[in-house]
Amino acid sequence: MKITLGLFVVTTIAWLMLSFALSLDVVEGSIAAVRIFGLVDEPTQFVRDPETGEVIRDVETGNLQRQALSLDSFVIGINRFVFSLAYIFGILIGLFATMPLVTGFLEQGRIDLLLSKPISRTKLLAGHIAGVLLVVFLLTVYLIGGVWFVIAFKTGIWQFEFLLAIPTITIMFAVIFSVVLTTSVASRSTGLALVLAYGTIFVSAILAIRDQIVPQLSEFWGSLFVGMYHVLPNYFEVMQIMTQLASKETVTSFYPFVSSVLFGITLYVFGFIIFSRRDF
Amino acid sequence: MTVTDSSLAVSTRDLTKRYSGLFGKRSVLALDNLSLDVHRGEIFGLLGPNGAGKTTLLKILLAVVKLTSGSATLLGKPVQDWNSRRNIGFLPENHRFPPFLTAMGALETYGQLSCLQTAYVQSRANLLLERVGLAQWKNDRIKEFSKGMMQRLGIAQALINDPEVLFLDEPTDGVDPIGRREIRDLLTTLQKEGKTIFLNSHLLSEVEMICDRVAILHQGKIVRIGKVSELTRRGTGFRIELEKAFDSNVESLAHTLKQILISHPESDLFSSVTVDSSRPESPTVELATDSVQDLNQLLDCLRSAGLLIRSVQPKYTSLEARFIQTISDLDEDAGKIIGRAEAETRSSANDEAEKPT
Repeated sequence: MKITLGLFVVTTIAWLMLSFALSLDVVEGSIAAVRIFGLVDEPTQFVRDPETGEVIRDVETGNLQRQALSLDSFVIGINRFVFSLAYIFGILIGLFATMPLVTGFLEQGRIDLLLSKPISRTKLLAGHIAGVLLVVFLLTVYLIGGVWFVIAFKTGIWQFEFLLAIPTITIMFAVIFSVVLTTSVASRSTGLALVLAYGTIFVSAILAIRDQIVPQLSEFWGSLFVGMYHVLPNYFEVMQIMTQLASKETVTSFYPFVSSVLFGITLYVFGFIIFSRRDF
Repeated sequence: MTVTDSSLAVSTRDLTKRYSGLFGKRSVLALDNLSLDVHRGEIFGLLGPNGAGKTTLLKILLAVVKLTSGSATLLGKPVQDWNSRRNIGFLPENHRFPPFLTAMGALETYGQLSCLQTAYVQSRANLLLERVGLAQWKNDRIKEFSKGMMQRLGIAQALINDPEVLFLDEPTDGVDPIGRREIRDLLTTLQKEGKTIFLNSHLLSEVEMICDRVAILHQGKIVRIGKVSELTRRGTGFRIELEKAFDSNVESLAHTLKQILISHPESDLFSSVTVDSSRPESPTVELATDSVQDLNQLLDCLRSAGLLIRSVQPKYTSLEARFIQTISDLDEDAGKIIGRAEAETRSSANDEAEKPT
């Protein structure tokens, strides 16, 4: 409870600081400049000849001619930055913050009292999961929604795609939380559950660069690595999908997201089976 | 009597629970073919040493623990059916409520978990907080409560759905003597209202005071069951406490008494009377028969010898004494069996060793 409140306070501070920052004269001026002239400061986008597709060079200096940054790109950049931070750190901290809820739920003296009530175990566990996810969802809405609103209100650019970050963060939190919940229910060790959840994220980071790693491995280990990629959640690739969506770029495949959700569902099913059968 | 007899609040038949041992742990037989009936409207006490299976039985009845074999019903419904728990209340040992809740909030939460309407829960919560003496702290956070207050709140929580059967695991644990008395009175009142109370407590004096029947559990089996009045019934005989004479010592008192009793050869008093001089300040004489005539004759003898009588009491075995005696007897028997088995093992080993090769 205290940690959740702490996150709420930190979130409030974050978007209040953003609000104040956007009110500073220098930032106001920068936004105005971007709005009028655009910023020649985007290294990845170059001006190309619409007919040949070749990059245009400056006649005098010979340097590659860079694309002027539009206000849209500016807003997308900020939003991508906020989303990435919220996605990586929000989920990691969210897991830590919701840990006391799991510990308290399975604590001797509380779980037996809950189980003695006229409710099925499935309903009880589902209610608990729903409660945890609701807390995370509300915190995400508060952070992402707040940041989105402040930026949109200030710049006048209402980039609604960025709001997809809310369900994405909540769903991916639910996927990783399935590891915590099932491990806790099976072992009643929340420490182990947290280690496995963070371990899953860590392994996911390695699996995300499988294209570089698999060719270095033998056939057996390579197959095993690819197999793990398909079984385990693709935490970082989902983040890339989300940033592509927020940037209005075309997403080539939603497979990482789908396989991650399937992983979560499978683990929840195991969690429910164990919870309904075990002694407390 | 069938398992689904409507006069039974709780019924078990051949109930067995074995905790399977994983990762090298020894499997434990917690309940061994246990059959038990608790009638509606009675206060039933479950006693037993640590590890006897009391909590396991309670948890099986409340579906917190799954049974291995046999059957168990609550108010005629199998315990596996969660509907069987609609009319029960439970106070677990060392119960914990979310510390950020207030007393009122906790009762509302657990009332809603009992599938009750919010308005009903609120009015009932106010009534119960008044009844357990927590009304003035109803808006205080639980984390600020003492152990005794937590226990009172736990009892209120167990009563929130106005249950027919109440399961209480150590209900007076951590409560001061006045609070204990209040809880005992509350339980007696609840019984008068027709509720069944299933009590699990180590405080045998309390169990003796309020329970109608008790069962003693040992190693997963019921080793003694019956009415409290039967288990604590008078022993045979009387105990007479004497006022020690200023001019006599205990030895001379015993000698005097012996002489008096010998001088009455027509009665059998001499053989049935013993003098206990272990407490010199108040020597006692014990009569080993229930005969009132013998008692009066003995009193006459004592008075005629100039001895002053302080009190006369029928011999009595408390529930605690009965419990300790039962468990000690069983452990002694078990010790003998183990000793015999070990001796047999040693003997057969020696035989093996002595066999010619």
